[in-house]
Amino acid sequence: MTRFKVFLLFMLIANVASAQTRELKGLVTDAANKGVPSATVKVKGSKTQGLTSVDGRFTLSVPSGNIVLEVSSIGFEPKEVAVAETDNNVSIMMTESSTALSEVVVTALGIKREKKSLTYATQQIGGDELTKAANNNFMNALSGKVAGVNIATSNSGAGGSTKAVLRGSKSLTGTSEALYVIDGVPMVNNKGGQPGSYGGTDAGDGLSAINPGDIESISVLRGASASILYGSQGANGVILITTKKGRSGKAVVNFNSSTIFDQVSGLPDFQYRYGSEGGDYSWTKPDTSIHGPQLVNITKSPIANIMSNSYQKGYIKDFFRTGITATNSVSISGGGEKTTAYFSYANTSAKGVMPTNTYGRNQFSFNQSTKLLKDKIVVTSNVMFSSEKSRNRPGAGYYNNPLTGLYLFSRDRDFNKYKNNYAVFDTARNMPKMNWYSTEEKQNNPFWELNSDSKLQTSNRVIADLKISYEIAKNFNFQARGNIDYNDVILDNRFAADGNSVSVSPNGTWSYTRYNDKALYADGIFTYDNTFGNISVTALAGVSYQKNSFNDGMNVGNGTTSLQYPNFFSFSNMPSNVIFNKTLNRSLKQGAFGDLTLGLKDFLYLDVAARNDWASTLALTGNQSYLYPSVGLSAIISQMIKLPEAISYFKVRASLTQTANEVPFNVVDPQNSIGSGGTINRNTQVPFTNLKPEKIVASEYGTDIRFLNGRFGVNFTVYKDVSTNQFLTLSAPSGSGYTFYYVNAGKIVNNGFEFTVDADVVRNNNLVWKTAFNGSSNKNKIVELIKENPKYVVGGQDEGFDSRIMAGGSFNDLWIYKFARNDAGQIILDPKSAIPTKAQNETKVGNVNPDFLLGWNNDFTYKNFFASVLVDSKFGGVAFSKTEAFLDSYGVSERTAAARDKGSIPINAIMGTTAVTSIDPWTYYQNVGDRNRIMEPYVFSRTNVRLAQFVLGYTFRSQKANPLVKDASISLIGRNLFFFYKKAPFDPEQAMSTNNSMQSNDVFSMPSTRSFGFNVKFTF
Amino acid sequence: MKKIIFALFVVTILGSCTKDFVTTNQNPNQISDVLLKQDFNLVGSPISGMLFNLNGHQIEEDLCQDSWMGFMSTGTDFVGNVNNTTYYIRWNAYWGREYGSVMSPAKQVIQLAEDNNLPLFATWAKFIKILSMSKLTAVHGPVIYSEYGSTAATIHYDKESDLYDLFFKQLDSIQTDFAANTAYKGFTKFDPSYHGSIPEWMKLVNSIRLRLAMRLSKVAPDVAKTQGEKALSDPAGLITSNADNFTNDLLGNIMPVAQICYQWDDTRMSAVMESFLGGLKDPRVSSYFAPVSNATLYADHPSFPYKGIRNGAYINTKAEHIPFSKVNPNFNDPPNGGTTKTRRDFTAAEVAFLKAEAGLRGWSGAGDPKTNYENGIKLSFTDWGAGGVDAYLADNTSKPLNYVDPVDGRNNFTSLSTVTVAWNDADSKELKLEKIITQKWINNFTNTLESWVDFRRTGYPKIPHVAKNDSSPDWGVIPADQWIKRMPYPDNERVGNAAGVADAVSKMGPGAKDDIATRLWWDTGNPSNF
Repeated sequence: MTRFKVFLLFMLIANVASAQTRELKGLVTDAANKGVPSATVKVKGSKTQGLTSVDGRFTLSVPSGNIVLEVSSIGFEPKEVAVAETDNNVSIMMTESSTALSEVVVTALGIKREKKSLTYATQQIGGDELTKAANNNFMNALSGKVAGVNIATSNSGAGGSTKAVLRGSKSLTGTSEALYVIDGVPMVNNKGGQPGSYGGTDAGDGLSAINPGDIESISVLRGASASILYGSQGANGVILITTKKGRSGKAVVNFNSSTIFDQVSGLPDFQYRYGSEGGDYSWTKPDTSIHGPQLVNITKSPIANIMSNSYQKGYIKDFFRTGITATNSVSISGGGEKTTAYFSYANTSAKGVMPTNTYGRNQFSFNQSTKLLKDKIVVTSNVMFSSEKSRNRPGAGYYNNPLTGLYLFSRDRDFNKYKNNYAVFDTARNMPKMNWYSTEEKQNNPFWELNSDSKLQTSNRVIADLKISYEIAKNFNFQARGNIDYNDVILDNRFAADGNSVSVSPNGTWSYTRYNDKALYADGIFTYDNTFGNISVTALAGVSYQKNSFNDGMNVGNGTTSLQYPNFFSFSNMPSNVIFNKTLNRSLKQGAFGDLTLGLKDFLYLDVAARNDWASTLALTGNQSYLYPSVGLSAIISQMIKLPEAISYFKVRASLTQTANEVPFNVVDPQNSIGSGGTINRNTQVPFTNLKPEKIVASEYGTDIRFLNGRFGVNFTVYKDVSTNQFLTLSAPSGSGYTFYYVNAGKIVNNGFEFTVDADVVRNNNLVWKTAFNGSSNKNKIVELIKENPKYVVGGQDEGFDSRIMAGGSFNDLWIYKFARNDAGQIILDPKSAIPTKAQNETKVGNVNPDFLLGWNNDFTYKNFFASVLVDSKFGGVAFSKTEAFLDSYGVSERTAAARDKGSIPINAIMGTTAVTSIDPWTYYQNVGDRNRIMEPYVFSRTNVRLAQFVLGYTFRSQKANPLVKDASISLIGRNLFFFYKKAPFDPEQAMSTNNSMQSNDVFSMPSTRSFGFNVKFTF
Repeated sequence: MKKIIFALFVVTILGSCTKDFVTTNQNPNQISDVLLKQDFNLVGSPISGMLFNLNGHQIEEDLCQDSWMGFMSTGTDFVGNVNNTTYYIRWNAYWGREYGSVMSPAKQVIQLAEDNNLPLFATWAKFIKILSMSKLTAVHGPVIYSEYGSTAATIHYDKESDLYDLFFKQLDSIQTDFAANTAYKGFTKFDPSYHGSIPEWMKLVNSIRLRLAMRLSKVAPDVAKTQGEKALSDPAGLITSNADNFTNDLLGNIMPVAQICYQWDDTRMSAVMESFLGGLKDPRVSSYFAPVSNATLYADHPSFPYKGIRNGAYINTKAEHIPFSKVNPNFNDPPNGGTTKTRRDFTAAEVAFLKAEAGLRGWSGAGDPKTNYENGIKLSFTDWGAGGVDAYLADNTSKPLNYVDPVDGRNNFTSLSTVTVAWNDADSKELKLEKIITQKWINNFTNTLESWVDFRRTGYPKIPHVAKNDSSPDWGVIPADQWIKRMPYPDNERVGNAAGVADAVSKMGPGAKDDIATRLWWDTGNPSNF
């Protein structure tokens, strides 16, 4: 068909339509008089239909004369409304469905399914919920609102990364993080580097590229069965993002502006009254000629501590500034009957609480959908572009971190001197030099760090896709789509010459990384949907193709090898023996999958699915093709038998799935590399020629039950995931000729439960109060690691703690050295020096992962006021602070000052055979504090309960027929406002790192922040 | 229409082509053996890295024998100041370096050389394996050598006596191969030490044979004499001039001793070096170390502006010992203001001292001990760029100093040694040996492993004990009148090859344990050397 003919056809349809129709405007609202978005409004008996806008409005060309409108929407009872010939403006109130019977949710591959037919747990969250508190990363808005998701957010500020683990860690070496999917297509979420004990900065992840305002809804598919259709990459669960689309009818313009202020709220408790004389520490040490038992004094310390009330105070608090994040976004949505389009632009501009830290982001999104060939073909395209730039994103750890120098600053010194003159002129080198009193490796002048060392991260990302769906027959559809996700990343860290000599070369240090991530995705899927009497059939079959090339680029860093000329950061200035590394990580994956759901009388569903993957990462192993199946059953008991009146809906479900987890690139047959001085470093890895994918067998059982006409509901799931064939790196026996090898070994079991309890506590014309509890608990157990070697341990001592992975333990167990104690529990003091001694071996003191997660989310509407309150809590688990250990050993914590005020610390100890009940503070803290001594005092409970979110707003609703501004709302927002309960001296949920290690751990990481601000929204 | 789509669908599945998988799963940024065949890089290109890795860095050397033998000391209180330097083992990395970066590539080079008909490269790699394992056995005792590369579940260690026999036998065959190919130029491009000169490598083969023979002089005197005399009489000769010194290219890296001292601020001159170099008025001190500016630090010897830290010291804070003597800044690499691009691994001076000892032991071909002793000192002075050797050789009164730590008196010590420099023919053999080994020790600065061997074998030089002895049953108890004897096997062997380790311990003699208190085979414990 020629383009001209198509055009003619369009004109004809348009003409015919205009000749016999009138324009009908309307508003669809819920019981609380709030607009219902995305409701389908259809003229009964005709093909004319449209969708409501985000505020519930619609405009439809309807035939003249009396008509009947059919209105339907997810979560509401379908409704028919008669519209008189003269009525051009209607208002329709929907009642929420008393049962969940008609609820439709988005599932794998972007396919909408009736919720009742699902055999696994899923939970859907509307876009409103994500933008309500103006989070600039949508995942951060999800914590506490969905059951079974453990979310840790980097404390590096705007643009920082997130770790979201569904149902526990399933992989020893992989990330165990969920797969993110946008409109059915997997999205690249490559996390950059993360800080460790020695330093570093969060290099972000892919999630910040998504504008939360573009999200229509998010579905969380927690179990493997829900995600089987994504193949091995979905083994850890899937987070499905559905983006906003254009709606036919008059263009709707939304404008949203938010301004959020961040304040440091979680600083450690410092002291400012004890100092030293010119040392690095704020302790007065005992005379070096006196050692031994003299230090122990039952009543009072023998040390005359140097103390003053005139030391500077407040400089730590004043060091931080009020952060501001301003986000302005506009979206335009509209279209005709055949073509709809949506466009949005958002700008985020942020200033972090850490001075000199800034973040800027511009995001564009455009999508359109066109119907062709008598609406049989729908062509949809979507383009998202995001450009991010962050400067001086704060890091953590010992090196090049302004917080070490700031916190440990010895109290008797003049802080302002170092603030105003962070650099001094070095006449010997004719250039500026860092001005700091200490030469310690972890200490820097914080102002030198902020002003002389610069860290830049940029990311430019495009996600574009095209989808064509074709209605082959009434019940038979085909869709094909292609997607490209391209991200260009630069990480450029510069450290000025004459800074800290341990971490920075005399002429400065430059670390530069530039790479792109490119993912091509294509799939073709047939769907078939039909009913034969009592039997309904839903089937799909498809193939997919994925080509990923990640990290395609280069990195170079001179470390502590000197640049040729100071403070010039360019390739030509690199020393001759620095290696410029070209990097790449790529894979090809092909999949074929099918899913068949059979329904009996709308009350019994059987779901059978299977997928076969072909993966290039398994080439040459003979295992590159692997198949995994899934089966599930759901029964709507309330439809099958008569239940008491109070129970309006009762469903039970069960599913069993086998899935596989990814293996890394290039481990089957690696080659050699070039080392410094041009030497060839021969590969010494044993080629892994029988590599297999990791295997997960997941089972889950659940029920959805609703009472009192659906006003109160419970959703409960228990699950068990057994992961085997874990991909593990082991060091090869020294005599084998190799240095390391990989095995498929181990068995990890995650089991737990999740529940959601929701209720419409109050629902009347003026006041609506909806409340929901989201709870979950996961137990992780490493049943076996290496069968032949039951004592094998992965992971070792990391600067004072040990995160051991071993049979009988759990992922993220924390091991530390406790005090050496006798059988009576008394701490054993060294008989000569009287110092507390350390236990011979490390002890497991807990697991950093919480035992139980609970979120309590409340929404209130009173007339035009609305409010939202979220209480987020985590129970159990341990948190570990090396920051506090350092503060104690340097004598800058209030704890040490209070001990010095009292002169001694009570202790239940024994020296030789003499019981000791108090100990001199210096002796005590020198032996527990600092990086790897007796860490027992620095392990805290992770349990915390916080007011995570509070929103209070007012909606202005125009009563005019054709208002300029249809809707407007203003709201006040608070996030992370205060703790109802917290024992750790830092916020364990604001993570130092979003990697597997360092969870719930603090090594000079950013103090937690509290946010508040306001949001203004207009709909034109 | 339906059929067409269905056909397309089927084609897509069947055509799902996996032929690109193999190349896709290879990293194009790694260099393949096919490319390395060009210019014979396949066999030659790993050699410089293997030679580089014969020596360790901070955790293999600086915090082990560099500290135990009183060359360098740390002022940093690593792990609460309970660590290798105070006889509590925290780091044990040399084993991994030798097997991972020398033995494993050497095995590959030997295979590739044989496959590609370049047998002399196999010979070369076999010799480098001996260089590596002869060092490693001096640290641990039995090591994996003859069964290296085995795929058996338990890989056995070689008993030390067997190991040395095997070394000597293999040195014979290596020397034969080299002798038949003295004009071979194939090594030139790959040899940063001798630039491809086979005759120079042959001198090293003989010198290594002499070094290993001397290790056995007490435990197996006959083998030692036979092998020593073989080394002394081999026509290829020994390392005799500093031009023959075996040095390793640092491949652009900074000399570890400078990096640890200057960049990390973790080490300073050892108090033992201060005691001997200051006491014996040794001009080499200015080649080794940098003077300190604060005169109060060296108030105990105002004319000698150096101050070291006691080995195994008591440390309150790192900052206290920061002002002490650093190493000479020349050890830095050129971009950092130094001149050092290579490091010493076997010098002519060490050979001269070996010959001096051989002479004392009556090995034929060794020459006069006095001449060799004095020649050793002269070679060392030249090598280190120090003057005043004649006055030094004549000094028969100066003795090592007692040590005073100006920041912590617990670290003070009285010198155990009263040795002087000047040779005296009337001295006992024992005193002569003490002089030889003391001078050999001073010369071996930055190349310290063999001095640890000499110390355990002969008891010389007479260095102080650690100030702070944290040895415990965890790794073995070192009594107050003793020094560390060996390094335990690393954890991955204890766990991954437990049966092999148990077998190794059984080969170390009755009562042996895999700890730091068990003596190696040639460490007889007999205080008398003759």
